[in-house]
Amino acid sequence: MTVLTRRLAIVFAVLAVFAAACTGSDDPAPTTAAAPATTAAAEEPADDMDDAEPFKIGLVTDTGKVDDKSFNQSAWEGAQEAAAALGVEANYIETEEAKDYENNINLFVEDGANVIITVGFGLGDATIAAAQANPDIFFIGVDQFQAEAMPNLAGLIFPEDQSGFLAGALAGMLTETNIVGAVLGTDLVPPVVAFKEGWEHGARYTNPDVETISTYHPGGLDVAFGDPDWGAATARQALDQGADIIFGAGGATGNGALIEIASQEGAYCVGVDTDQWNTVPEAQPCLVTSAMKLITPGVADLIAQAASGDFAGGNYLGEVGLAPFHDFDSIVTDEMRATLDDVLAGLNAGEIDTGWPPG
Amino acid sequence: MTAGAGPDLAAASGDAGMRGWSPQRVWSVAGAVVLVALVWGFYAWDGAQTTAVLGGTVRAATLLVLGAMCGMIGERSGIVNIGIEGQFLMSAFTAFTVASMSGSLFLGVVAGVSTGLAMGWMLAAMSVGLRTDQIIAGTVLNIAALGLTSFFYDRGRSLGQPKYQSIELGPLADLPVVGTALFNRPPLTYLALVLVVVLHVLLLRSVWGMRTTAIGEHPGAAATVGIDVIRLRYWNVTLAGGLAGLGGAYLALESVGTFTRAMSGGRGFLALAVMIFGRRTPLGAYAAALFFGFTTALQGQFQLNDTFDIPAQFVGMLPFVVTIIVVAAAGLFGRMRDPAALGQPYEVR
Repeated sequence: MTVLTRRLAIVFAVLAVFAAACTGSDDPAPTTAAAPATTAAAEEPADDMDDAEPFKIGLVTDTGKVDDKSFNQSAWEGAQEAAAALGVEANYIETEEAKDYENNINLFVEDGANVIITVGFGLGDATIAAAQANPDIFFIGVDQFQAEAMPNLAGLIFPEDQSGFLAGALAGMLTETNIVGAVLGTDLVPPVVAFKEGWEHGARYTNPDVETISTYHPGGLDVAFGDPDWGAATARQALDQGADIIFGAGGATGNGALIEIASQEGAYCVGVDTDQWNTVPEAQPCLVTSAMKLITPGVADLIAQAASGDFAGGNYLGEVGLAPFHDFDSIVTDEMRATLDDVLAGLNAGEIDTGWPPG
Repeated sequence: MTAGAGPDLAAASGDAGMRGWSPQRVWSVAGAVVLVALVWGFYAWDGAQTTAVLGGTVRAATLLVLGAMCGMIGERSGIVNIGIEGQFLMSAFTAFTVASMSGSLFLGVVAGVSTGLAMGWMLAAMSVGLRTDQIIAGTVLNIAALGLTSFFYDRGRSLGQPKYQSIELGPLADLPVVGTALFNRPPLTYLALVLVVVLHVLLLRSVWGMRTTAIGEHPGAAATVGIDVIRLRYWNVTLAGGLAGLGGAYLALESVGTFTRAMSGGRGFLALAVMIFGRRTPLGAYAAALFFGFTTALQGQFQLNDTFDIPAQFVGMLPFVVTIIVVAAAGLFGRMRDPAALGQPYEVR
């Protein structure tokens, strides 16, 4: 053929190599932390400040991405925040497949990291193994409950059921059709189940007549948090059968649900993990609030502990709460707010059954 | 070769043949009647849930049938396209980016279709022009799309406007059962439906369709009657890419309303199964896509209403099991076969 087509062949070959390099998960991304970003979404964390400090922070994501606009992103922001406060650098590795958990953690071990954050329930076993093998390195496991305390491993856990319960309580008061829905990541991850149980019990707590319809993504850990098309289609199904307030909890899958609900007039949606008003602006037409886990301050606090040397192993209970109502401030009446305050007090006192843990 | 003699006719129940009622046709009509009766029964039992499931079915089927049509034009011309996944993803990315920057969904769709055409042309250049192994050529598209879109993805970007909204087609939208599912849809779904019918007629009835079948079955013979095999394969694979491009635009601008990395989630590969199940005819593929879409919607529904205690994963598995059975059974009875020259590069002698 012609010279042109030969050249094209070369271009394709280069493209393929380039692409393979982009998707490879094995290099710590050379991203230096500088921006104290709690609102995220907008700016790239890219300022370079070559600091000679020896303290190194490494973060390994779950199979979601570090810019998933919810779970992994909030942990990464916590790492960046702590790094900025300490004047050091933080790096991350995105896990592409569950089998790489161990390798990715070990990359940071070999790189000489002082503290390694692993984000997600799925990395629990790999994190415990690494913490046992490397007693000099501090490990922070987000969403990883520690059954046995180790001095160099802290599990950052949250009462997701309480967060979901508060959001559900609000939903029970807001719904007019008496049907509330939830589109969720996967029941393979206990925190997601805790969110769901809390949400449903909360809705029934304020509204005994309510019908709750909830769906988990049927796929495995590798796809359940990255399938916005499924989330959107399922949210539409829930809307079609009368749900008028829906909880979208599951990374990009949940975000797909939120955006779908935004196109339905009169329907409300509830985000998860962070204040998704900022992270998913497309959902603003319906986003009443978000059931937040304050991951960012939890991670930042634990890193600060590790840096100062008074790191306590075991479980670290992070805080939860509802995000501001933003544009929907006016529809949440004083009466509803009073009820929410009562619910919060009851939850804190342990008087309310959130349905989680089961039994 | 005429349309009636092709292996495709028997499968397409909506296709008015000239040979009267073959046993297959009796079976497909009987099946359709049973299906309609079942759906009607469920509708009478619970209208809202039936509407929800049917809506979800059409919605999931749209992307699949667009991908399947892209694949079938290629395969009928003798070119295997396993790069549909990459074409979806890349087009979704450009459609989203252009729509976001320009503020116009329409420009986004144009960008998505153009990207699909460009990707189709690349596939043609590799597999027709350079006679590369077609599987490798498709794989290159998939890897390149995943890498490029991940690299250029700007996480702060949002669409900045609502995605495509449903348009009610007057009184048709008030019909029972199918009103919402078929006649209260966003624009790209309507476009896809029209394309299914148009392409079905073109592939099975037009001169272009006959020639396409000829270059996929016996390119040497086609060349002897004056068909420029290389040129037609180039055109077909490129234009087919436009259909996958429309699929990508549908995914980003109508179904989801944003872009996330790897958002096509394997649906481009699923489209190949749909194409085979549908026997490489657009109407057949649409029926297959509806079936796949139906099980997707049903999966969610089983969980939503808690009435059946069937694991969602089991329902999700059904289309694949059925595809394997159909392909195996059809293979055993010799009623389904690939185009004879599929996967073979053609060299002008």
